[in-house]
Amino acid sequence: MLSWSSTEAGATADLAAIAEGAGDGGLPFGAELVAFADAVGGLDDEVLVFARERLRAAAGEAFLIDAAAVLANFEMMTRVADGTGARFPAETAAHRAALDDRLDIGRFTSAR
Amino acid sequence: MGAPRADLLAVHVASLQHVAAPGAAFTAAQRLRIASVACDAYLTMDPSPPWVRPFGEAALDVAYRLGRHAGTITQQWYEQIITEGMHPLEWVEVVGIVVATVPVVAFARAAGLPLPVLPPPAPGAPHGRVADELAPATLNWVPVAAPPDTTASVVQALSAVPDEWDNLWQLAAAQYMSDAQMVDPLWNRGTLSRPQMELAAGRISRIRECFF
Repeated sequence: MLSWSSTEAGATADLAAIAEGAGDGGLPFGAELVAFADAVGGLDDEVLVFARERLRAAAGEAFLIDAAAVLANFEMMTRVADGTGARFPAETAAHRAALDDRLDIGRFTSAR
Repeated sequence: MGAPRADLLAVHVASLQHVAAPGAAFTAAQRLRIASVACDAYLTMDPSPPWVRPFGEAALDVAYRLGRHAGTITQQWYEQIITEGMHPLEWVEVVGIVVATVPVVAFARAAGLPLPVLPPPAPGAPHGRVADELAPATLNWVPVAAPPDTTASVVQALSAVPDEWDNLWQLAAAQYMSDAQMVDPLWNRGTLSRPQMELAAGRISRIRECFF
């Protein structure tokens, strides 16, 4: 879901923040959001508690809830894509090449 | 901790009730077992490696790998499982069950809420409801509702089993946004901006090593 989520809505997030988890993507609460995503994607509950409280303190309760919902959605959509062998039409490959390189997608097992 | 949005809460409750009802090919009890395996796989601190099949039962092994190691699933493995005897539409239903369950658990864990408990199984036999006409797809491994490849691959992915498709997109609308809202690049819920939503979405997709 990586490149699709970054381009489909026409609102491209900063790629360094997505690819390396570095910086804030040039967005308000961006660093807190990235840390929260990393914690949700990890297994350390203490790290998750810390990241959650950091995001809540910075952006508020409603923001935290909606951020958790977006992350849950992409825990879902990544599994839809990976579980059904979803791929892009060949004609979109040229548009994706630079993005794929920047995000180091080619090494993923799911790249097919 | 404040309460989640009512629409989000309602769709998560409905999704677990959907899991606990008879499906196209599986009974409610079978669906709940598949969901339970996927949840455990998602949450465990000590997962089996991706190539291990912990259960020796295709539906449960697929649920486990999808719950924990989704990015490692290959077409070769899909075809191996189908060759062993799992029907492709059973595979689609397993995917539907996993994606009906994991995001509900993921949301609760992320938000610091109590993890959900799966409902008891509803009575009844599998209903056999599938798309009127099926077709092989070039954009997915799995068969889809005909005509194939007229929409994005993630959109047609579960279309062969309409109840799973419906549940998926109800979840997406509440957790993220609906198709209609996506068309408007300025639409948001008044909390995260669209770039902030894409940052969160892109980062978790990167962590899960999902290329799509």
